[in-house]
Amino acid sequence: MDTIVAVATPPGRSAIALIRLSGPRSVDILRSLTREEQFTPEPNRVVLKKIIAGELGEVVDQVVVTYFAAPHSFTGEDVIEISCHGSPLIVRRVLDIAQMFDARLAGPGEFTLRACKNGKMDLSAAEAIRDLINARTNAAAVQATRQLNGEISRALRPCKEQLISVIVTLESALEFVEDDLPQVQLAEMQARLTDVQLQIQNLADTYSTGHLLRDGIKVAIVGRPNVGKSSLFNKLLRLDRAIVTDIPGTTRDSLSESINLGGIPVWLTDTAGIREAEDKIEAIGVERTHRAIADADLLLVVVDGSTELLPEDLRVILQVHDASHVLVVNKCDLGQRSDVENKIGNRSKVVHLSALTGEGLGALTAAILEPFGSVDSEVAGLLITDSRHHDLLRRAQGALGEALNLLNDRAGEELVLVGLHNALKFLGEITGETTTEDILGEIFSTFCIGK
Amino acid sequence: MAFDEAFDVIVIGGGHAGCEAASAAARLGAATALVTLNLDLIGQMSCNPAIGGIAKGHLVREIDALGGIMGRVIDRTGIQFRLLNRSRGPAVQSPRAQADRALYRKEMRATLENTPNLDLRQGMVVDLLIRKGKIQGVAMQDGRTMAAQAVIIAAGTFLNGLVHTGRRTYTAGRAGEPASIELAETLKRLGFPVGRLKTGTPPRLDGRTIDWDAFESQDADENPVAFSFSTDRIEQPQIKCFIGYTTDRLHEAIRQNLHESPLYSGQIMGTGPRYCPSIEDKVVKFADKQRHQLFLEPEGHDTNEVYLNGFSTSMPAGMQQRFVRMITGLEETKIIRPGYAIEYDFVDPRELGADLQCRRLPGLFHAGQVNGTTGYEEAACQGLLAGINAALLVQGRSAFRLNREESYIGVLVDDLIKQGVDEPYRIFTSRAEYRLALRHDNADARLSQYGRDLGLVGDMDWERFNQRRDRIARIETALQSTKLRKSDISYRAASEALGGVDLGDSIALSDLAKRAGATPDAIFKLLPGDIQTSTGRTDLEAALADNLYSGYIKAQKVVVERLRSHDFAAIPVGLDFRTLNGLSHEMVERLERVQPKTFGEARSIPGLTSAALATLFVSLSLPAKTT
Repeated sequence: MDTIVAVATPPGRSAIALIRLSGPRSVDILRSLTREEQFTPEPNRVVLKKIIAGELGEVVDQVVVTYFAAPHSFTGEDVIEISCHGSPLIVRRVLDIAQMFDARLAGPGEFTLRACKNGKMDLSAAEAIRDLINARTNAAAVQATRQLNGEISRALRPCKEQLISVIVTLESALEFVEDDLPQVQLAEMQARLTDVQLQIQNLADTYSTGHLLRDGIKVAIVGRPNVGKSSLFNKLLRLDRAIVTDIPGTTRDSLSESINLGGIPVWLTDTAGIREAEDKIEAIGVERTHRAIADADLLLVVVDGSTELLPEDLRVILQVHDASHVLVVNKCDLGQRSDVENKIGNRSKVVHLSALTGEGLGALTAAILEPFGSVDSEVAGLLITDSRHHDLLRRAQGALGEALNLLNDRAGEELVLVGLHNALKFLGEITGETTTEDILGEIFSTFCIGK
Repeated sequence: MAFDEAFDVIVIGGGHAGCEAASAAARLGAATALVTLNLDLIGQMSCNPAIGGIAKGHLVREIDALGGIMGRVIDRTGIQFRLLNRSRGPAVQSPRAQADRALYRKEMRATLENTPNLDLRQGMVVDLLIRKGKIQGVAMQDGRTMAAQAVIIAAGTFLNGLVHTGRRTYTAGRAGEPASIELAETLKRLGFPVGRLKTGTPPRLDGRTIDWDAFESQDADENPVAFSFSTDRIEQPQIKCFIGYTTDRLHEAIRQNLHESPLYSGQIMGTGPRYCPSIEDKVVKFADKQRHQLFLEPEGHDTNEVYLNGFSTSMPAGMQQRFVRMITGLEETKIIRPGYAIEYDFVDPRELGADLQCRRLPGLFHAGQVNGTTGYEEAACQGLLAGINAALLVQGRSAFRLNREESYIGVLVDDLIKQGVDEPYRIFTSRAEYRLALRHDNADARLSQYGRDLGLVGDMDWERFNQRRDRIARIETALQSTKLRKSDISYRAASEALGGVDLGDSIALSDLAKRAGATPDAIFKLLPGDIQTSTGRTDLEAALADNLYSGYIKAQKVVVERLRSHDFAAIPVGLDFRTLNGLSHEMVERLERVQPKTFGEARSIPGLTSAALATLFVSLSLPAKTT
């Protein structure tokens, strides 16, 4: 039995999200997530832990962890429940890392199935959860037929056909050794499989954008005081939401609102200006700004274009230059004085605008959306938004990689075919199964078999 | 009711299914009768005089490991043994042997005649005697009745058999033998869903009229691989076969005369096998193929008859004679027996349980072509399973089943009873999900224990099995524990043999053996001396195959386990799928058609969605509702 992982709380933003692991490797995976190899959790005790990621050991989130030892758990297996902060991005990262350590993303209702199997589920609970499963699959079915599934299947069809043609060639060579079949062309098969692998890779890669499309992006407006951050905030919101004065340091606290920018949900945060704080309240505000910076997917760094750049401006720019950001040169209605481009080189994307008149806002929107490509245009490419699809594509790719390595090493066809059949199975979980009969049918219509 | 004779088990049919069935039932202690139309044709090979081939050879090895007889009989009568796919991985290698057709029949009959508890009876069964929904015995055409608690139908192509050559048709079970019409009608009367299939056979040639030099010859293996684990040596002298090709002229002539073929005139309604097309089919469906390969296979040591493999046809006999002569080397050839097509009845195998017993009529078993399969090996393994289960039923013992994970027989039976057939079913290695684990060399390790527990594997064979198992285990231990170090002379030799690759500071033989290019001979030489002297070539090959695939098999088990983890859950008999909330009409229909007994069976229904399965599973784990 493998170990599965899934979010137990509803999708979307919330204070807390619950991620659940179930299976024999749950504790191992927790150790990997926290990078505490020696850690042995005590059952039913709540402990505070940090989820660590990356080569530099970056803290993803501080979380609360509870361990339920088999058989005294919801599923009857070893279960780890992780309560993290309810940002879809944090949840996504924790799930991604768990999958890196070999947890598998649970299918719909799979926790319930395991619970039922282990006799943990009573009548009412099972019925309630069954309804939940149905609701989810019905919704998914509507989604699937209307758009995503159909499109993904269509996008994957050429891959599948290529893959099946290689399988057919290899299976025929094994199965009909006494028939007069054409010689198997190794180079051609390698080329086909490499091409399939590339196509799947490209599709899987769209997930980095695709999941943002679904979960949205976080954009924070930062800069030294009095450069017009709150004006920009209000302008983007089309609302007088933040108080705007000409007194530096008016914004004391971070302020967030959700807007729709070209079809993409954007969570926009206005922050207190960054400077040496003059009082305690402002100090707390600046502290919150730093947190907002850490949390954001994209930063809008605002400077005042009507005056020379101040050391504070440069400090902010320096602080964020590793993060994804756009440099907003504000107050272009007052004339251009600072030569921002010369000062900071061409490291940043620069937009000149006036938060007062709205001039240049279109350019800003375009700059924010640029990483999403032509999402909202007619020719929008297909994006993978479902993490299960992403998981399956990655697995398919892995299986193909193994098959290709074996093929390159001139290993036996029966071994190469293991990887190819696995890849087909993973693709089949997205597009529908290919049965043995389908393959045989393909063989008999391709080759004249029959000694 | 008074019967002329009484048995425990009656087997109808003396072909490959019937022989295995009768032998197994009798050896398990059931008083058994084998009833056949002609005692002189027991074990007849109606078509190709050969046994084995890819996947089929696996079946024969499995039959042998379970204690069946086909492997032993072909080992004594095979005249050309070849291990197919010898250059490929061990999982897809498979033995094949061409038989001396007459010798095979003789040997099979002698084997049955020497089986205690087994009586041979000649005659035609026309009716099944039934009382209170249970089988009581059979009635014969000549008026005799025979009692039995279990009856196995293994009638091959005889049920309503109809032979076609050109536009002529006549009822027959095989060329020159009567069809079984009344028994076929009995099955229909009992309500069995009956369908129609078709198969065909090529002409047999007079070997004296063949210009042998015009063909490439194909030799038997120098070291023949036997089918039976009990065979030490193949004693029959080995012969050559010959390979030739069709010509343009022949293709053109066939195309011109397609209207003479019952296949193309609409006369034949039954579905034929796609992997065994007639020469008409080959020429039409693969029109761009320049030439089709043909094999000339001598039918035995003491006959001139030659089987023209690859030339199955139902053209008029006179036309066959003219067409054959368009093949280079056959310009003067005379046909001894023309080829023909035959249509016959089969019963939907979804009527059967995994023990091959009919749900509709307890005590009745179906085995072989009556279930829609083709091939001697496919028939024989079903016969074995039916014979075993008929005897177990009579003795009040629980049924014997094989699953897909452990055997090709399990794959075949599972496919038949769950998917049914729409063309004659043949086994392929690609039908097995666990191809790497199901090898011909380890059939004994997989199945002999069952054969022993059932009582089919005798003391001597069981002792052989244990010794072989121990030898293989010793080799496997030695592969793990023998390491080559950089300082060893053998290290450099091994590295050079693999093209000078770096093998690290030291390498275990088990890892070295997995390298492409490491031959069994090379590995053998590196084994400790006592292992070399105490084990044989086939032991080594089995150990190396285990070693090669162990990692894959383990990884595959994880995937399988994930898929199968809920399969145990039973679906209550008579569960009304309509009462399950959230199942679409289509899903209900699919479930009702198959009537799965476990969650695993439901999972294997094609087209059932995962949402439907989730719904079904959750409902299964709910306690029964009180009404």
